[in-house]
Parts: sequence; C-alpha cells; structure tokens
Amino acid sequence: MSENKKMLKIFVFISILFITVICYLSYFEIFLKEEVVNNSYNKRMWITSSDRLRGSIMDRNGEVLAYSTFNNDSSQTRIYPYDELYCHVIGYNSNIYGNSFLESKFQKELTGDMATNKLLDIKNLILGNEIRGNDLVLTINHDLQTKALELLEENSGAIVALDPNTGEILSMVSNPGFDPHSDYIESNWSSISTDDNSNLMSRAIQGTYPPGSIFKIITSTAAIESGLDEYIADDQGSVTIDGKIYSNAGNEKYGIIDLGKAFSVSSNVYFASLAIELGSENLLQCALDYGFNKPIDFDLNVKKSEFSTKAFTDTDLASTGIGQGITMVTPLHMALVASAVANDGIVMEPYLVSAVMASDGTQITKKSREKLFDVIDKNSADILKKMMIDTVETGTGKKAAITGITVAGKTGTAQNEKSDSEGKDHAWFVGFAPADDPQIAVAVFLEYSGSSGGNAAAPIAGDLMEFYLK
Amino acid sequence: MNGSNSIFKPVRMVLLFNFLAFILMYFYGSENSLNVLLLGLAVIFTIGILYHIIKVYDWGDEYLFLIASMLCSIGILMIYRLDPDYGIRQIKWFGLGTAVFFLTFIFLGKTKFWSSKPMIYAYPLISIFLFSVTLIFGQRIGGAKNWIEIFGINVQPWEIIKLLYVFYAGLFFSNRELIYLPTVNLKGKAIKINSIFLFSLISYVHLGFLVLQREWGGAVLLFLIFFSFLYAFDNHRSFLFVNGVFALVGGFVGYLLLDHIQVRIWTWIDPWSDMAGKGYQITQSLFAIGAGGFFGTGIGLGNPEIIPEVHTDFIFSAICEEMGIFGGVAVVLLYFLLVYRGIKISLRIDNIFYKAASFGITAIFGFQTFIIIGGVIKLVPLTGITLPFISYGGSSLISTFLALGALQAVSMKNSFSASKVVEADE
Repeated sequence: MSENKKMLKIFVFISILFITVICYLSYFEIFLKEEVVNNSYNKRMWITSSDRLRGSIMDRNGEVLAYSTFNNDSSQTRIYPYDELYCHVIGYNSNIYGNSFLESKFQKELTGDMATNKLLDIKNLILGNEIRGNDLVLTINHDLQTKALELLEENSGAIVALDPNTGEILSMVSNPGFDPHSDYIESNWSSISTDDNSNLMSRAIQGTYPPGSIFKIITSTAAIESGLDEYIADDQGSVTIDGKIYSNAGNEKYGIIDLGKAFSVSSNVYFASLAIELGSENLLQCALDYGFNKPIDFDLNVKKSEFSTKAFTDTDLASTGIGQGITMVTPLHMALVASAVANDGIVMEPYLVSAVMASDGTQITKKSREKLFDVIDKNSADILKKMMIDTVETGTGKKAAITGITVAGKTGTAQNEKSDSEGKDHAWFVGFAPADDPQIAVAVFLEYSGSSGGNAAAPIAGDLMEFYLK
Repeated sequence: MNGSNSIFKPVRMVLLFNFLAFILMYFYGSENSLNVLLLGLAVIFTIGILYHIIKVYDWGDEYLFLIASMLCSIGILMIYRLDPDYGIRQIKWFGLGTAVFFLTFIFLGKTKFWSSKPMIYAYPLISIFLFSVTLIFGQRIGGAKNWIEIFGINVQPWEIIKLLYVFYAGLFFSNRELIYLPTVNLKGKAIKINSIFLFSLISYVHLGFLVLQREWGGAVLLFLIFFSFLYAFDNHRSFLFVNGVFALVGGFVGYLLLDHIQVRIWTWIDPWSDMAGKGYQITQSLFAIGAGGFFGTGIGLGNPEIIPEVHTDFIFSAICEEMGIFGGVAVVLLYFLLVYRGIKISLRIDNIFYKAASFGITAIFGFQTFIIIGGVIKLVPLTGITLPFISYGGSSLISTFLALGALQAVSMKNSFSASKVVEADE
C-alpha cells in the first residue's frame, strides 16, 4: 500500500525531529551551557542561595566588613558597615545587577553552594541553627584601610599596601568609589555604570598607567644584572638622543654621577643613556622577570602590566628606561616591584582572602604562602635597597621619611597617557619600611595629580607606613 | 509473551512512579496534603483498573493509555511542585480526561456516527462556528485570542477543532470519489476540478482563522498536519510542491508584515540582546535547562518558577531543570513511543477513514510535541502551544484524551479485524 509507505516516511520524519531534539539538548548541555548559565541575567546565580544566609566578610582582626540579614519575605539584605571603604575589594551584591569583586569571585563560598555545605545544612537544620554560607577572612587591616582612604582624600588614584614577606594585602583603596549597598546600586545603576570617572573600576588592579620614574627600579635592576652598575654619566641637565631631548625635572644638572646618585635624584639624563647602553633585550628580560606582560594570580582579576615587545628605536629605549614610553602598569604590580626589593628579590603571591570559614567555625580552605616571581638574587636586591634608602634620605623621596624608621622608596612623576592634555602628571611613590626588616610595602598612585611623586605621593606613603608601624 | 511474567511490567512501573510521586507531593505540600494522598490513590486505581480493562477485554493497543498516563503523571508531579493548587486541579482534569477517554472510546468504538458521510459537512461547519465564536467572544491571553469563557471556565476551542479537522480529513480521503465538484468551462473545454482543491480550501480557511487569532503554534501545527495528509493520501507531487512554496511565501510575507512574527524570529536568532524584554521567556527557559545539567537539581530543588508560563508552554524546561536532560530525553522518548504505537495502528487498519484519522491524531501528537519542545530549547522559533498530556490546562488535557480515545477505538477495530483473520485461517 502506497499510503502505508508514505505514512512510514512521515513517521521517520517525526522520529528525526525527536532525535534532533535529543541531540540538541545534549549539545546544549555539553557545549553551550557554561556560557548561558554564567550569564549575569541568570537569577539562579543568586536565588539558589536565598534560603541560606550569605556569609560575612571580616578583616584580619575579625572586624565585620560585610554581612547579610534576612528580611520578612525571606529575601536578604547585604550590609556594608563602612560603605565606600571596601567597594573595590568586596564589591557589591545586587539581585538585579549581579555582583563584583570578592562578592563575585567568592560567590560559591559565600552562598555556601559547595559540597561541604550540604552536610552542614542538614546538621544545622536538625540542631535548629541558622543555615548560612561561609565567611571570608581577609588579610586586610581595617585600620590601615581606613587610614589609606583618609590619606587619599579627594584625589583620584589608588593605594596598595602589602606585607612583602607573605604577599598579604594589608590595604587596597581606589578613588573615586561608590556606595556598594544594593539599593544605591539599583537606583543609580545607569549613572554609575556609564560615568566617565569609572567609579566601578578599581584603579589599584584594573587600571594601567605610565609608571614614570619608579620604572627606574627596573632599569637599575637590569643594569646591576648585566654588570653595568659601575656605569658613569656626565649629567648636564639634558641629553639629545636621535634628535629627541631628555631633560631632568627642573633642568637640574648633576655633573658626573653613578647609578646610586642618579637613582636618588632621579636623573633622566643618566637613565636615558643607561637604557641605550643596556639595549632592549636586557631591559625586556628584566621587565619580564618582574612580571610584566604576565598574569598575576590574585583573588581578584588584575590587568596585566604592559611592556612593549616590539622592536625598539633608541628613543623608544631611552623613554622606556625613564618610564615614559608606552609601558603601562597597575598600582598593585608596582607594590609587588617594591616588595621584590624588600623581600630579597622574591615576590610573594599577593592575596586578599586568607581563609574560608564554615558557619560552624571549621576552616574550609586556607591560603598558603606561595612564591610568585623570583626576580633577582639577594645581592642585587641589597644594592637596590641601598639606592632606595638614599632616595628617601637624601633624594627625591625625602617626604616619605619617618623619624626613627629607615624607609626605602622611589618617586615617580609620569606624563599622563593622554600625552599633552592639560599636562597633568600622575604622581607615584613605591617603597617599604623598615628597610632592614621590611614589614610593609606600598604603592601610592595619584591620577592627574599635577604634582610630583616626591611632593604629593611620598608624604602619603610615609604617613601610611608610619601609621602601620607605630 | 515472556514479558508478562516479569515483575517489571510497564504498568507496574507507571503505578510505582505515581506511588512515589504522590508520597513526594504529600511531603512537599502544606495544607491540603492529605487531600493529595487520597487523590493519588484515586489516580493509581484509575490507571490500574482502566489498563486492566483495556487488556482483559482486548480493547486494542494496551500501551497507548499507559504512555499517556505516564506523561500525565510527570505533568501532575511537576505542576504540583510549581503550585500545589494547580496540581490538585490538574489531577482532577486528569480524572475527567480518563473519563473522556473511556467515553470517547465506547462511543466511537460502538457507533459509526463519526465516520458517517453527512459528517463531512458537519465537521468543517462546527469548526468554522467555533472559530467565529472564539474570534467574537474570545479573550486575548498572552497575545493569542484563543479562549472563550463558558460558565466561568476558560475553554480553548482550537483544541477540539484540530480533532474535527482530522476527522474531516479522514472522511474526505475515504469518500473522495463521491465528492462532486462542478466542472468549469474554459475556452469551450470542460475542466473537472480535482477534489483536493476543496480539501485545501477548507484547510486554508482553518489556517486563516488561526492566523487571525495569532495562534501561531496552532497555525504551524495545522499546516504540518495538512501537508502530511497531502503527502500520504494524495498522489499529486506537484500540488504538494505548490503548497510548500505557498507556505514559504506566506511565512515570508507574514514575517515582513507582522511584527509578532518578526519578534519570534529575532528572539530565536538572538534572545540575548534583549534579555530583559522580548528575549526574557526563552532565556529564562535556557537558564533553567542549563541549571539542571544531565541529572537535574532534583524535584523541588530548582527554581523553574522564574520562567514565565512555566505551567503550560514551558513545562518541559521545568522538567529539564529538575529532572535533568536525561529526564527531558526520557519524556521525548515517551512521545516517540506514543507516535510509534499510533503509526502502527494506522498502518494496520485497512479502512481509509480510520487510517487517515488515526494517522492525523498521531501526527498531531508528534508535531505538537516537537513544536513546543523545539521552541523552549531554542531549536526552532518559539510558538506557544501546549505539550500534550503534560501541560497544565483542562481544554488541552481533555481534547488530548479525546484524541487518544479515538486512537484507541481505531486500534480495537484493528484487533477485531486481526482476530477475524486468525479465525479465517483456522
């Protein structure tokens, strides 16, 4: 019967449709799902945690920096007792716009959406305890964090302070910030998310800026490593390389100077010539050793610092050697550069979250100290340390000095990356103290400060380290 | 049969599933928990007894009802989990549905009324009447004007019309030679118009009403059924081709002119650019399916309630979220079995009316399932239509059971004719 044959074909057709559905479902599950599920519009990302109280976040001394409470309708409110202070560390947590920074990176831990929590939930249900997610213990020192934001005042910029021996972040602030409470976020989203000031961005880790003279730490390191630490130059206030003039700040003339002297007075003439002497290979290798162009493992996403790998002309080389080329850095990375000198040439992996604690007080994960970069040997580090001490004692970094404590540091004043616009320079200071037994390394970055690193950034760094050490 | 001695008989699996499901519902619900346990017992007895009646009295295919019951059970569990009140109502609709199935089977099995020749006029007329009533008195729910309110109950006439259409097709193809169409004089030549034009005309009238109601899922379904009938029961390949081209052109013109169709196409191609607006439904559906993974979150542990219209059109996404892709695939396989049984019935019967009617019903089950499942998983553009036997809703469930009753009736005629053959052989 021809009808039967044709009906069978329709049956085969329907079967193919069904098989397509099955194949597509499997394809979706295996290949498409990951991207779909992590979409920020997926309410499940935060709804799954609604019956479990979101975990709290504490500083290293148990000061509560973020916590949640249940509302009458069993929804939760996230409270940040210090408002803006931790907006670029902890971030926000909104039911509509998702979350950022640690709230986002540790979403699973905070909501308790982990295997270990399922058992604990049952235990708490039976015992009648509150069912809650895990708490985060940070390496942050709340007092130092408060002080850092105070010192930054109305300046746009960032301050990073860390323990060079361990990599623990002691404070990390960025200005301008925002009120992370969800009612503020939700009612002002369109203005804060499109604002020219980039309030949502952490300048400490997500912004890259020209380093200016603090890059001379890297140029000096390259010189020491390639045996050019005895290099002498006659500084007559300016030098012309391939037709481009490099002059010192204030057109100061220093005469015949060696590396140590040139470093402490931040001679552009000396370092521009030194860079030419070094060659791009040596400089690039040294920058790579310090972690340029490399991802930095951290609890938050850090933008890579950039060092050009393209062919250098002599002027490129000279500009780069004094930190004015196309080199771009994050303040966190510059604090790590200081910590390399402080910690005998070894950069410890920076971290913010020291432990994840379950609601019954047991520790779920604990961060262990890890080496991030092995930059230089102790000898070279000691030479650099000496140069940095001189800088604060007699050179450009005098304003970072603390009575009774030896401070090591380097100032930087960087022409802003917008080239000539208004000519407002960025001010930098990186350093550590006490020089003989470093407890704290800092990077202070003031965006479009208009002032020099020595005048604007150094005093902030000095005050902050003094506050921490005394 | 060896299988009948096994303790793993399909019927026992269905009953066991219900047993476990209702215990789960008992613990899940709050105030009317005892009620649900009693209703559960009633469901289990209904399925068990009706299945045994079908088997003992040799009422044809014993699996049709079993497959449908399994699908309904999954639906009841899922709907109860989403909203216990809806779940209770769905259980009652299921009870009424089995009654309708039983009565339809008896009525159609014992009488020849539905295949009698005068009905060839009655079916289209009733359909057009129902369509007109819907258009005039209908309420627009979710963009489609396809509901009418009768004594406080919302009824979707289209659910019945699609069955009338299938019966009409059956009568048409079984009585083609008797259909008289006037000859047309063209340049002195008398040209006899092929009766297939009449069938097409009636079909397009149906289609036109569905488009007026913006019942896009229904329109696609009706066209696929119409096309399947043309393919299987008519030998004019060129006519089939013309209709195919006609549909493509019609669809394209519709796309150009109608905002509704454009939105559906665009939210299919890229729902992500307007997740808060037009792409909301489909993206929420995909989030749900993604959340479930292969094995699902577990019943009651997911968040399918976020999806709009999750009780009806998007029930499959809820199943995927909480029972996993494997659960979803199992559901698709159940529909495959249903279509397989249906096609088997229509292959076996000789009578063209029964053949076409059972084929049409089977095709409805198959295509309707594909249209909605393919839609909610973003395989094809989404057009709202219910998932047979599973979606919440009286009209849908009752009419699907009516169709199943008709299929069962055909399968019984089948087994009678088969047993006659056996007797003759002896």
